[in-house]
Amino acid sequence: MIDEIFLSQLKQSVDLFLPETILVATFIIALIFDLIYKNSRYLIAVISIIGLVFSGIFLVNQSTSSAAIFSGMLSFDPFGNFFKILILLTTIIIVLMSVFSKELYEGGRKTGEYYILIVGMTFGMFLLAVANNLIIVYLAIETMSISSYILAGYTKEIKRASEASLKYVIFGAVSSGMMIYGISLIYGLTGSLTFDAINSAMISSDISGLTLLIAGLMIIAGIGYKISAVPFHFWTPDVYEGAPITITAYLSVASKAAGFAVLIRFLKVSFFDSTNYANDEIWTLIGTIDWQIVIAILSVLTMTLGNLVALWQTNMKRLLAYSSIAHAGYILMGVVVMTDIGVTSVLIYFFVYMIMNLGAFLVVMIIANKTGNEDIQKYNGIGHKAPFVSACMVIFLISLTGLPPTAGFIGKWAVFTAVLKSEYIWLAVVGVLNSVVSLYYYVKIFRNMYIRNFEDDSEIYEFSPGTYILLIILAVPTLIFGIYFTPLLDWAESSVKIFLGV
Amino acid sequence: MLTDFGIILLFMITGAVFVGIGIFASALIRPSKPTPLKLTTYECGEEAIGSPWIKFNIRFYVVALVFLLFEVEIVFLFPWAVVFKELGWYSFLSMVIFVVILLAGLAYVWAKGDLDWDKPKPYVPKLEDLVITKKD
Amino acid sequence: MTINLEHYLILSVILFCFGIYGIITRKNAVMVLMGLELVLNSANINFVAFSRFGGLNIEGHVAAIFVIILAAAEAAVALAIILNIYQNYKHINVDEISNLKE
Repeated sequence: MIDEIFLSQLKQSVDLFLPETILVATFIIALIFDLIYKNSRYLIAVISIIGLVFSGIFLVNQSTSSAAIFSGMLSFDPFGNFFKILILLTTIIIVLMSVFSKELYEGGRKTGEYYILIVGMTFGMFLLAVANNLIIVYLAIETMSISSYILAGYTKEIKRASEASLKYVIFGAVSSGMMIYGISLIYGLTGSLTFDAINSAMISSDISGLTLLIAGLMIIAGIGYKISAVPFHFWTPDVYEGAPITITAYLSVASKAAGFAVLIRFLKVSFFDSTNYANDEIWTLIGTIDWQIVIAILSVLTMTLGNLVALWQTNMKRLLAYSSIAHAGYILMGVVVMTDIGVTSVLIYFFVYMIMNLGAFLVVMIIANKTGNEDIQKYNGIGHKAPFVSACMVIFLISLTGLPPTAGFIGKWAVFTAVLKSEYIWLAVVGVLNSVVSLYYYVKIFRNMYIRNFEDDSEIYEFSPGTYILLIILAVPTLIFGIYFTPLLDWAESSVKIFLGV
Repeated sequence: MLTDFGIILLFMITGAVFVGIGIFASALIRPSKPTPLKLTTYECGEEAIGSPWIKFNIRFYVVALVFLLFEVEIVFLFPWAVVFKELGWYSFLSMVIFVVILLAGLAYVWAKGDLDWDKPKPYVPKLEDLVITKKD
Repeated sequence: MTINLEHYLILSVILFCFGIYGIITRKNAVMVLMGLELVLNSANINFVAFSRFGGLNIEGHVAAIFVIILAAAEAAVALAIILNIYQNYKHINVDEISNLKE
């Protein structure tokens, strides 16, 4: 049964799978070291960083290759690679952030397992970014979810953290249950679970409309939960508020990125009519589902609700949670148009969103290290107590609003251009109105930091040099990509190629 | 000829009859002389105390969770064992990797002490306890 | 009358609905998890039935195995989290655990 062809394919698969293998190896090595050196504070963090960086080196090396591996279970392509690099960068920043988190180390808590679980979660997200089979999608979503359930409640004696993890696990399990039911229906309809085989089954035969719609919506429910699109967003504010700040930041960027990767790949590979296709054209979708309308409704609901509810939040983590829901809505606009330009804009927006959102959460974390909580009242007069941190926060907030000369503007500009090119004028109008609304609550933070100064301003906050370096690492690109964005555009444009199968 | 549902019905009837015969026959044969002592709930010779809805010791949960995780992995071993001969070394190697990763998990659980069943230490009476000291 | 694909699908839909009903109405977190197991098992019945009666490949059976494994893993983590909730709140009533609200 085993022949030469199989062996050569296996070798190629194992070669391309090297970054993931390194992550698994890091996971196990860190586990063992955690047992041997029980009382070390940062050892596991260092091991994780080393493993992640190694994995990243191999990832960058294979950024141009594109192939189906493990008998078509995974498909490696520049698109998946983009998301993997993005997820990896996020993970490294989060691990560095965690080292400075006071909340996490409070009371001499053991944090070895925390970093190990982060590595495990990264593995799940890597798999999700390249999954080409619905079972792998389910497996990967569960791998990352199960780690994140534990991480959300890692500070387990704090009541709100344990509540957050309970809500996360119940909502998450239900939505993944719905998803697997949808997957089973798709399997019955098309007789296959691989994306490209589903595609060819749908081209060659008539697939019943209503069942396909139900199955598709159930799968969208599972993915929508991960990207916290609106009908499936209920967990987001509670979990984001209760979880440790580092994990909140991680969930808001990395797991969203993985969700978007699989959403776009699933739509494009399974529902895309490859028989008449030219570049830069709107993808002709097959099947009876009008995906554009479905995604457009999701997008409008997501950004409107996210922005409107964010207006009266008084907790910074909760505010940023709603803001991240709104951003998912903007990113979904790029998916609605269903063109290569649209996908490019999604990639650009995501990269920019990663930098600015992590930056904002980093500021929230270092302020919370000093004040003990994330109440927006605590930001009164921070502008005088911590001038540099506040200045960075202003940059991140401007960027989140999407004003020039910051990176956020480039992201918004790319998405709106893509939407306007496909003549979805109404969607663009809704998007712009939402951006205006979002300005209000971002300005509220700004106002609290600088203009309101009720308390004495004699006290000046001191921070460790490490946090300053991290802040600079995040703030400088936010400014640079606002002015010089050609490399980002080029990278996104070359990463838009999705491997469509053999 | 029976239909598929007919087979299920037959199966259920057979099951019911089988159990029924057992109960009926033993009721016919056995002598029936109930005493209050005989009617008490049997619990390994010990007297049953309190309601059966008690809270289990937390140690049961940890062991049960660990057992659940490792036991289910057997599911992967069965299909593997069926095709093992045809696939040879390749499948053997794959399964070795799988089991080694599982073993690492088991070792972790073990070393963390989650498998330890820390029994309450029985108090061994010492000589001093037996000596009745005179109180002044 | 023979048992064919439809019967399995009806069974799985009934299980799915019971599962969702249980998840929505039960207050005890462990009961919610039980509802969840019903949902996952209904998907499993679908997979195996499609694979057996649809004349399809073995993929359905493999999928069912993976679903069983992941259900166990998820249940283990969820039970551990519920245990932790119990230690913090002294009950596991989902409705009453709502400190996090605006």
